[in-house]
Amino acid sequence: MSELLDPRAIRLSETAADRDEAIRRCGAALVEIGAAEPGYVDTMLAREKSISTYVGEGVAIPHGTLGGKELVKRDALAVLRFPEGVDWDGEQVTVCVAIAAAGNGHVELLAALAEVLLDEDQARELREATETDTVVRLLGSIQEDSKS
Amino acid sequence: MPTRTVAVGSSSGLHARPAKLFVEAAAAAPVKVTIRVGDKKAVPAKSMLSVLALGAKKGTEVTLEADGDGADEALDGLAALLARDLDAEEPSDA
Repeated sequence: MSELLDPRAIRLSETAADRDEAIRRCGAALVEIGAAEPGYVDTMLAREKSISTYVGEGVAIPHGTLGGKELVKRDALAVLRFPEGVDWDGEQVTVCVAIAAAGNGHVELLAALAEVLLDEDQARELREATETDTVVRLLGSIQEDSKS
Repeated sequence: MPTRTVAVGSSSGLHARPAKLFVEAAAAAPVKVTIRVGDKKAVPAKSMLSVLALGAKKGTEVTLEADGDGADEALDGLAALLARDLDAEEPSDA
């Protein structure tokens, strides 16, 4: 499977009172698996304030600012599911795919994720996933072929 | 039909933030705009997922297309936005 997606960073029954708390939980997952320094979380919050990372289909992709790249230790994803939903500036978010990326080239990664979400069945499976294996099956093919 | 072909100017490509700015501008346009890479399928420019799925990097040539009243003006604005380095315009709040 993709090294990008550590099963320890797949957390499917999270709760968060609001968007910022959801982002902090995403950031904490990236920090706990050793992908980012704790300071990265603040850059994720700053990024979200500057522009929403909501992409559609109930999914947001929180990630740090360009300045936060130096706080990334290795490229990684974290998938956090909030079954009760989180209000995201008026949108309802069920799944966060949080991104730690040190390089410039996470364009392929986002493109691969977008392809999954453009498939209505796969997007629904991701929103309804209760098993780590389901997430790995859906997103595990997202490879880090984006060195730059 | 009016079209514009432009190379993506953002240093890290049409990823999350530049894509979002483009999609918001496309959604605000008075006409329906599509975007495509090369001969691939044209997708709605106001769909974030469709735009992300293009996987356009810096220098990738994308083609915008629209029809109707105001199409030329809308395309000029969107093409200019794509040509800019939107990454360089990020507030340095980190």
